Amino acid sequence: MPIRKSAPVEDVQALPASGAPSPQSVSEPVTAPKRTVVTTPRKMLASGMSEAEAIDRAKEGDSGCFEALYGLHKRRVYSLCLRMTGNTAEAEDLTQEAFLQLYRKISTFRGESAFSTWLHRLAVNVVLMHLRKKGLPEVSLQETLEPAEEDGPKKDIGAHDQVLAGSIDRVNLERAIESLPPGYRIIFVLHDIEGYEHNEIAEMMGCSIGNSKSQLHKARMKLRDLLKITRAERNASRSSSRQLL
Amino acid sequence: MTCAEFQRELPLIIDAGGTEEQEEHLKSCKVCCGLVNDLRYIADQAKLLIPLYDPSPKVWDGIEQKLKVEGLGKPAQARRSI
Repeated sequence: MPIRKSAPVEDVQALPASGAPSPQSVSEPVTAPKRTVVTTPRKMLASGMSEAEAIDRAKEGDSGCFEALYGLHKRRVYSLCLRMTGNTAEAEDLTQEAFLQLYRKISTFRGESAFSTWLHRLAVNVVLMHLRKKGLPEVSLQETLEPAEEDGPKKDIGAHDQVLAGSIDRVNLERAIESLPPGYRIIFVLHDIEGYEHNEIAEMMGCSIGNSKSQLHKARMKLRDLLKITRAERNASRSSSRQLL
Repeated sequence: MTCAEFQRELPLIIDAGGTEEQEEHLKSCKVCCGLVNDLRYIADQAKLLIPLYDPSPKVWDGIEQKLKVEGLGKPAQARRSI
């Protein structure tokens, strides 16, 4: 039962000529936000400066280039923080902390992986550190992150109702992810949205690969339940509207 | 193979592939087939979620302020307005 894996995406983004970011001028990623695997510095500043050059200059303390890097990556870092925490204020604080750490550590970036991959790993670590400080566990996810049995997903034995295909929209999926218990949400975001492999997640979270797989499965099962409830409510609402007409 | 046995193993096989016996069960069982399709559909849809929102401008202001306080960087005064 092999599941399709998305091909690596190269997201070429532009920055304004000055290197200064502005929400209007930073282009949108147009494809799925899988972790970028870029072997050559493809991201270019509109002025012709490559991202690699901006990184080199930022390493030397050029704050304009650092700001340009912020403009290029802020949306993905913020989205990652927001999806992992489900809280706007926390996500903003963590985005700030991630970029402060970037500034302090950028001189250690050796270019062995894509800059975006490196930055995202840094941001994930910032979020995980924060969540641990808040009381989420460092060691055993299974014992401490797992919701009570009654909240968890149920086995689907004997029940056969309509499949979900074609019925999920982005808003409902985002909402459902937001309402997942934190342990499920973190693994789901890291694996299914950000594209980390189970061995990477296990390393970051300090759990076993099997544990990561198990949590991911429970997250997907829970999402399936939530999305089916949403669909049922929507259908009920439509049918009552029709009856009123 | 029963549905319960198949679904017990599902977390480990859904991304990696199952044994012949598990594949056979999947082909012949509408319930498990529907479940697997749903879970794959959710995973596929999640891959399409793009980052939609920018952080508020106060995030950059906070970064700039902290860098000044920590003496880590030169402020990028003129560049911001360009």
